[in-house]
Amino acid sequence: MNNRQILVRDLLVLLAFAGWALALPHYGSEFVVSMALTCLMYVALSSSWGLFCGSTRYMSLATSAFFGIGAYTSAVCLGQFSWVESILLGAGLSAVVAVVMGLAVLHLRGTYFAVLTFGMTELIMHAVTFFEKRFSGTVGRVLTVAPESDTIYITMLLLAVLAVLASILLRRSRFGLALMGIGADEQRAQTLGVNTRLVKTAGFALTAAFGGAVGAAMAVRWTYIDPHTVFNPFIGFQTVLIALIGGAVTLWGPLIAAIVFSVLAETLRLQFPQIYMMSLGLLLILCVLYLPGGLASLRWDTFQGWWQAGRQWARSWRAGERKNG
Amino acid sequence: MSFSAWLELIASGLITGGIYALVALGLNLQYGLMRILNIAHGEFLMLGAYLTWMGHESFGLSPLLMVPVSFLVLMALGLVVHRLCFRRLTATSPNLDIFEARGLMVAFGLMFLVQNFASWMWGGDLRGYDYLADPVKIGEAQFAGNKLLVFGLALVFSVALILLLKLTLLGKGVRALMQSPVGAQLVGIDTQRLHPLMFGIGLGLSGVAGSLLSMAYTITPSMGEPYTVTALIVITLGGFGSMSGALAGGLLLGVIEALGMQFTSPSLKALLSYSVFTAVLLLRPRGLFSK
Repeated sequence: MNNRQILVRDLLVLLAFAGWALALPHYGSEFVVSMALTCLMYVALSSSWGLFCGSTRYMSLATSAFFGIGAYTSAVCLGQFSWVESILLGAGLSAVVAVVMGLAVLHLRGTYFAVLTFGMTELIMHAVTFFEKRFSGTVGRVLTVAPESDTIYITMLLLAVLAVLASILLRRSRFGLALMGIGADEQRAQTLGVNTRLVKTAGFALTAAFGGAVGAAMAVRWTYIDPHTVFNPFIGFQTVLIALIGGAVTLWGPLIAAIVFSVLAETLRLQFPQIYMMSLGLLLILCVLYLPGGLASLRWDTFQGWWQAGRQWARSWRAGERKNG
Repeated sequence: MSFSAWLELIASGLITGGIYALVALGLNLQYGLMRILNIAHGEFLMLGAYLTWMGHESFGLSPLLMVPVSFLVLMALGLVVHRLCFRRLTATSPNLDIFEARGLMVAFGLMFLVQNFASWMWGGDLRGYDYLADPVKIGEAQFAGNKLLVFGLALVFSVALILLLKLTLLGKGVRALMQSPVGAQLVGIDTQRLHPLMFGIGLGLSGVAGSLLSMAYTITPSMGEPYTVTALIVITLGGFGSMSGALAGGLLLGVIEALGMQFTSPSLKALLSYSVFTAVLLLRPRGLFSK
């Protein structure tokens, strides 16, 4: 397939997914629709995470910061502004925070970057808590004005489609190639004339804007928010997990993994919350060890490789047994 | 404020700081030596605390006796974890950057696994026991006896580890490995054996820290994460891999927190430590004491 055919294929697959998700509320039960909403939320979050963090290999744990900023923006603004305006405001504010944050931390790589984004998320959470306690006199906020649940669903679907569409189009643009170049070798990209600082900050802001928009849309669904639920670092962890298990560099990986996860979460979490979390941890470890490219890199050869490695291991184990016994 | 009140404030800061330094020791060893940022460090600390609590409640053993027991149990666990996860990771990662990122993800997985195992096994309630809870008077000031004991033992363990690294042949090998892994291999240091051993000792030390903490504080399955963050802050303050730096960093953080809480408000504690952490990482990423 040439480049154009792949583009058409990707767009058609996206269209099919979107159509299916759009039809879902008309025949699915309420439970299924709420599951689909969670699923769409994680599709949007992890696809947009993969957009920047997957291609540049800067591992950001700040998703929950942007999510929380978006949620608080819509909680504060929804009285005065319309639904669309609040979401745009949430996205814009998150992007601004990301630009400031990015200018400060994007020169650090690897673990430093991951740890620092995590620390900044906690910093923002504690700052918001302190501000609310001191000046608003309350810790949580109740969202009284809320649109209909159909509107929330369609908004989330739109955000998810936009996130996937952005990754389809970006990987064909100069900007996307620059991000890929930074991921492969940052110094080389710089030498070849990429303004790495600008590209990285812009990419980070784009990811943040999606996070903020998703947070703003999800806040009304929850009706009551406080800093510990919307800035919960687990939102960030789960986004990273989904993207990595699906394959952060791939286009469809995050989407596949988000579907798998939402189904797993909704079926297991209510009855056995600890078992769910334990299997999540185990899955992550196994995935990093045996499938570093993610679910989307799973091919027939992968199973063959595992089979051969297993046989080899068994053979060497038997040989060792013979030598010892 | 009177002079003795100042003294008491700083002394209580130092006591907390000593405990912070102890919590950071194991993580510092693992990150400084092997570039494994073990974000599950606090969870293993929590396991040590639960072991001690179980030994005390079920078998009536003295918590002090449980300190070496939890060291050995967690060290064995560390050897197993290293054999199952990190050995393969070292073998398959193309370079150190990728190894670090993947190691971090594995550690996240361990964190979910261990924390939820504990809450599944022991339930989410607060647990604790009384041990040396009477106040001890030193001069004008009063301190809880168990906190003083924990502080003393924390200093003993930190200094012992520093001396072990400075004076013995094993310590020399470890320091060589910190400086240059390839160079260490070239001069005949057996990295294949040293790595699992040091990972095990790192986990063992977190077990010791948990065991000591359970004497002075209540324990829950979710107690680990704040300690992980504290340990991270301490080792960034002291510079990754530097043991004496971590000791100084821990004491410093304790004093900063005590002073900051005295002059602002206790609800700012978390905000304060995260601000220190972010500021140090941004301004002096190699640690406060680096040249």
